[in-house]
Amino acid sequence: MSSDDELAERLRAGDEAALRIAYDRHGAAVLYLAQRLLNNRADAEDVTQVTFVAAWTGRDGFDPDRGTMLSWLLGIARRKAVDRLRAATREQRAAQTVQAQPVTPEADETPERIVDRLVVADELGRLPAEQRRTLELAFFDDLTHPQIATVTGLPLGTVKSHIRRGMHNLRRRWEVDGATLGSRSTGPTRAL
Amino acid sequence: MQHLDPDRLVLLALSEAAEELTDSDHLAQCADCRHEMQALRHVAGVGSETQDLQALPPPPERVWEAIESGIAATRRPAAPVAHIAERRALPRRTRSRWLTPLVAAAAAAVLAVAGTVAVDRFADRTPAEEVTAQATLSPLKAVPPNAGGDVQVLADGQLRIDVRNLPLTTGFHEVWLLDPDDPTRMVAIGNLPDAPEAVLPVPPGTDLKRYRLVDISDEPHDGDATHSGQSLLRGTLTS
Repeated sequence: MSSDDELAERLRAGDEAALRIAYDRHGAAVLYLAQRLLNNRADAEDVTQVTFVAAWTGRDGFDPDRGTMLSWLLGIARRKAVDRLRAATREQRAAQTVQAQPVTPEADETPERIVDRLVVADELGRLPAEQRRTLELAFFDDLTHPQIATVTGLPLGTVKSHIRRGMHNLRRRWEVDGATLGSRSTGPTRAL
Repeated sequence: MQHLDPDRLVLLALSEAAEELTDSDHLAQCADCRHEMQALRHVAGVGSETQDLQALPPPPERVWEAIESGIAATRRPAAPVAHIAERRALPRRTRSRWLTPLVAAAAAAVLAVAGTVAVDRFADRTPAEEVTAQATLSPLKAVPPNAGGDVQVLADGQLRIDVRNLPLTTGFHEVWLLDPDDPTRMVAIGNLPDAPEAVLPVPPGTDLKRYRLVDISDEPHDGDATHSGQSLLRGTLTS
């Protein structure tokens, strides 16, 4: 599996296959974000298309030192989705239709939160299998460390260190790539 | 001051342990631990919402097909200078069909380079002009490596562009300012005359902090005012 660095290099060299790899890896996340933001499947597919075309034409702008391929693509997708929402609003005004605004998303459904989730899910998927498994049991099944030890048959000390390291990995990735407090636009990453 | 144990912080963040008085006392006093705790809590909260995101269904194949045709649409047919013989002379590599015009254009560019000139551009310049930002233009992949240029933003809002060894074109060379964070956003500055140096006005009000990526493109005479997708040189303005 080629790293983001290799992908970036191949993209810059004009290698279309690299875009396909990025699409295979992250197309589903881009579509998911677009669908959550636009609430419309057809528009979301359009935005996914526009995002990858923009990624291709703007491929020189991807800098692996500033964030991962996923967060770069999600950033483009988010702007494209917002552009589309704005255009839709303008059209509505132009047509002078007085319509109720789309339902205000719940507080935990902000674009930032959705991006955070996609980034953390991606990192979770990259963790070593045992680290991931223990974290999933803690996150999704709400199990305590001793319960996880029982379920997995791992020693308690191992469970603890898996969870500590796993949390550390997720947190570091979120600081590099996340949207909410990830400090890419506001300054350097805070010290641990 | 003794910081909270990392394992303890994780337990608290996962709400597996209840905060004891000693923990809260320390967190109240220690910004580092408090910050660490907030970050871990946030990540734990986000993490617990990712169950449905582990195996997202891939987009339908029509999306990729639309991407491919979208990419093809950003390109123009190769200029007529690229003859079959020249194409055959190119080293063959595995490229999909839609890349062929680009390769042909690159070949045309290589062949055309011999005709370009480099002149001492700065010969009769008044030294008093104030430069507020500048960029060095470098050739993109398909462009001969000896092509390049310099751009200066003058205090009066004009852009002085100075290029060398640009591949000849059957169309014209156009100057753009792109937003590197969203390269689909751009400002058209104007076309380059057949001279080594040009001074072009930047539209008043243009945010040069945002539109800081200078781009020189090869534009065909097709009446399409948008960027051809054939960038030749690029460089970022710095002050």
